[in-house]
Amino acid sequence: MSGVPTSIAIAGSGCVLASGWGVDAFWSAACESRSGIKPLRSLLFHSERVTAFGQIHYDDHQRSRQDLAQNLQRYCTPAVIWGVSAVRQALAEAQLTPGADALTYGLYCCQGGYTHPSLASYGELLHECRQGEGADMQHLARRILHERAQDPFLVLKGLSNILLGVVSLALKLECECNAYMQGVSGNLAALREACAALQSGRIDVAIIVGAGSELDALALSALVQAGTISADGSDTLRAFDAQGTGGIAGEGAAALVLRRREDLGDGPQVCLQTMTADVAIEHLNLPDQQADVLVCSGTGTPDQDRQLSLTLARTGAAHITSGVPLTGLLSAAPSLADLILARCALLAQRVPPIAGLSQPVAAQLPFVMGAPCSTRLDDGLVLNRDDNGFSACYQLKYSEQANNA
Amino acid sequence: MSAPRIVITGLGAVTGFGFEWQTMWAQMLLGEHCIRPWQPEGVADGTFPVRYAAPVDTRQLPDYLQGHPAWQTPLEKRSQLGWVAASQAISDSGLSPAQLRDAAVLCASGAPAHKIQDMLLTVADEPNASPAWRYLMAKADQVSAAHSLCQSNDRLARVIADDIGCEGPVINISSACAGASQAIGNAFQMIRRGEVDVAIAGGADSVLSLDTMTALYLLGAASSEQRWGTGLCRPFDRHRSGLVAGEGAGFVVLETLERALARGAVPYAEVLGFGSSLDGYKVTAPDPQGRGAALAMQTALHDAGIRPQQVDLINAHGTSTPLNDAAETLAIKSVFAQGEHYRRLAISANKSQFGHLIAAAGAPEFIITALACQQDRITPTLNLHSAADDCDLDYCAHQTVNRRVDVALSNSFGFGGLNTCLVLGKYQEHAQ
Repeated sequence: MSGVPTSIAIAGSGCVLASGWGVDAFWSAACESRSGIKPLRSLLFHSERVTAFGQIHYDDHQRSRQDLAQNLQRYCTPAVIWGVSAVRQALAEAQLTPGADALTYGLYCCQGGYTHPSLASYGELLHECRQGEGADMQHLARRILHERAQDPFLVLKGLSNILLGVVSLALKLECECNAYMQGVSGNLAALREACAALQSGRIDVAIIVGAGSELDALALSALVQAGTISADGSDTLRAFDAQGTGGIAGEGAAALVLRRREDLGDGPQVCLQTMTADVAIEHLNLPDQQADVLVCSGTGTPDQDRQLSLTLARTGAAHITSGVPLTGLLSAAPSLADLILARCALLAQRVPPIAGLSQPVAAQLPFVMGAPCSTRLDDGLVLNRDDNGFSACYQLKYSEQANNA
Repeated sequence: MSAPRIVITGLGAVTGFGFEWQTMWAQMLLGEHCIRPWQPEGVADGTFPVRYAAPVDTRQLPDYLQGHPAWQTPLEKRSQLGWVAASQAISDSGLSPAQLRDAAVLCASGAPAHKIQDMLLTVADEPNASPAWRYLMAKADQVSAAHSLCQSNDRLARVIADDIGCEGPVINISSACAGASQAIGNAFQMIRRGEVDVAIAGGADSVLSLDTMTALYLLGAASSEQRWGTGLCRPFDRHRSGLVAGEGAGFVVLETLERALARGAVPYAEVLGFGSSLDGYKVTAPDPQGRGAALAMQTALHDAGIRPQQVDLINAHGTSTPLNDAAETLAIKSVFAQGEHYRRLAISANKSQFGHLIAAAGAPEFIITALACQQDRITPTLNLHSAADDCDLDYCAHQTVNRRVDVALSNSFGFGGLNTCLVLGKYQEHAQ
C-alpha cells in the first residue's frame, strides 16, 4: 500500500458526463437516480444491437466549447473539449488561476484510446477511392496529400497526447506533466504521480484530467467482443443487479485539482489517504479501517458483479454506491468520476442510491437503493477494476478542520 | 534516509540497424546509418512524397519471436518490436523471472498505425453512409486480431508484464515523441520513491504506414526533400528539411544500485535525474525560444543535484526539422550560459543515424547516452556539412568522438509541446 504521508486534499473537481455538465449536475443525477444513458445516436453508423450509450448532451457540449478558444477547438475531438471544460471547473472551485499566482503546477492527463474522427474521415475518403475490390492508392494519396482530405486538422485530433497539448495551451501551462492512455490504470498512475510530486514539494498544485469517448463502431465492437458491453439492445446499465444485462459504454471527462492539505485554509476538505494497486482486484490490499461509503463502478453483468461483490465484502463498507448507471462505462476517467462522487458524498454527508438497482447480486451487502441515505460519513473508498493494467483502491477521509486532516 | 542510487543493468534495442543493441552501437560508432529509400505499402513507387525512412528489416523477426509467448499472441508490428527489445533488455540484465516478479513495466506506444486495407474493410465499404452494426461486425471479423484496430494502446505493456509474470505496476505512457523518455523517467522516479526496486521501461513504435506518414507529412514534420538521398536527415545543418521516420523499440532495466551489486551485476551507467515540462506555446510547433526545452533540462539537472558546468554531453532531440534544432540550440545556450559552458559541450543527434522512432525515440537514444558514459565514446551527428547560422555548437559532426563523459543529458521533445530530459552519469563506486 502506498501511503500518503502528507495529506493531499481534493481542492476542486469538474466533469462533463452523460449525466450533465458539471459536478452539481452529476451529484443531482446521482441523488435522483437520473441516468444519462440514452438511445445511441451516431452519424457514422447505426446499430440494432448496441442501442444505448452514455452520450454527452448537445447542450453540454456547446457549453463546454465556451471554455476553449475557437482557434484551439479546431485541433480537438469533442472529448478534449470536455476535458478542458472539466479542468476549468475544477480550477474555478479551487479558486486558482494558473499564471496569475506564484504556485507551481503539474498536469497529468489520461486520454481514451479511440479518436473517432480519424477513422470516420479516413473511412469516407477510402470509400470514395474504392474501385472494384481494391482501393486506388494513388487516388487516395493524391486526395489526402493535395486536398488535405476533409478535415485539415484530422492528424492533430488523432494524436495520443492531444488532451495534454490542448489543456496546456488553454491554460498556458509550462509545468511538469505526463500523459497516459490506459483506462483505470492510467487514472491511478496519474494520481500516484500527482501525489508524489505534491509530497516532494516539486509542485503546489496537481491537475489531473481524463477524457475519452467510445462512440466509434470499432471501439464498441471491441468492447462487445471483450464482454464489456452488451449487444442485446438493452438500454439500462443495472450495476450489482441480478437482472443486469451487461455494460453500456459512455463518454465524457472528469478532472481533479489536488493540493497539500496544509496549504489550504480551514474548512471541510476531502483528502486522499492511500492508494493501492494490484493486477487483480481480488488481491488488492485493502485498508484495515472500515469505510463509511464505498464507490465502485460495477459492470452490469450479474456474474461479474457477484465476483466483484466478494471484494466489496472485504472492505466492510457501511454503504455502497455506484455512479456508472448514470454515465455508462467511461474509458479514460472512471476513477476520477468515482472520486468526484465519493467526495460529493463525504461533503454532503449523504450517500446517493445506485440507480436502477432493485435485486442486488449480494443481498448481504449494504448497497444503497431507492433514496439517498443521510448519515455520518468520515471515510470513503473507491474501488476500480481494470483487466488490462491493474485494479485500484483509493481511500478518502473527510475533515472539517486542517489540523484534523 | 537518502534516496537510493539507480543504475541501468539491461539494454535492448531494435532499430533499422538490427535486432540487438550491440549491432546498433557498433554501426553507429562506425558512422553508419540505416536510412533507406522507402514508400508505403500499397502505394506505387514514386507516388508518395516522403521517399526515405529507416525501417526495420522484419524478415528476421520470426527468428527472434519463435518459441516465445509473443509469437503465439496476436500483436501488431510495434508491439512485436517492443517485445523483442524488452526481452533483450531483461536477458541482458541477467534477472530471473522470480527477481522480476515485483517489477514495474512502463511503456510508451505511439498512436496506432492503421493498415488502410483493414480500415476499408471495416468502414468504407458501405455504399450508404452510416453502415449497420451487423455489417460492421461481420467486416470486423475479417480484420487480423494482430492489427492495431483490434488492439488497445497499452497492449505491449501488458504483454511484457504477462510474459515475465510481473505483478507490479503496468503503465502505458502516451506523450508522443517524448513517450519512451517519460516512461524511463517515471520508472526512475518510482524506484527512487521506493515503490519498486526494479523496472523495465522504454517504448516501441512503427509509423511507417500510409496513414501515419501522411499525417507526419501534412503536419510539415516529415521531409519530402530528395536531393540528399539517404543523407536526408541533417540535424543542425542549414539544409535540414524535416524528420526522417524510423521504426523500432528500446527498453532498459533500471534497478537500485544496492540490488544490482548484491546480485553481481555491472551497471552500464547511473540515472541521476529527470525533468519534464510543457511549452504552452503551440500544438504544431515548439517554442522558438526553446523555453520549454530549457525548463525540462533545468528541472532534470536540479532533480539530479548536478550543476550545468558538470555536464559533458547532450544527446539532443535533434530532429532535423528547422524549428526544433534551432530552438534546442537556444535552449542549450540558455541553460549552459554561465561561463559559456555550452561551448565546451559535446552534442550528438542519433536521429541522423537511425531516424526518428517517434514514441520510441527516447529509448535507444537513452541507451546510446548510457554507453557514451560507460565507454567515453560519442556517436557522430551525420550529414552536418554546413551548420546553420542559428546552430553554432559542437555537434560532433561526421565521426565518433573519444572524450570522457561523466555526466550526460538525453533530451526528448514531443509534438504538442511536451519536453523531457534525463540526466545520466558514469557509473562510479561513489556517487557523483
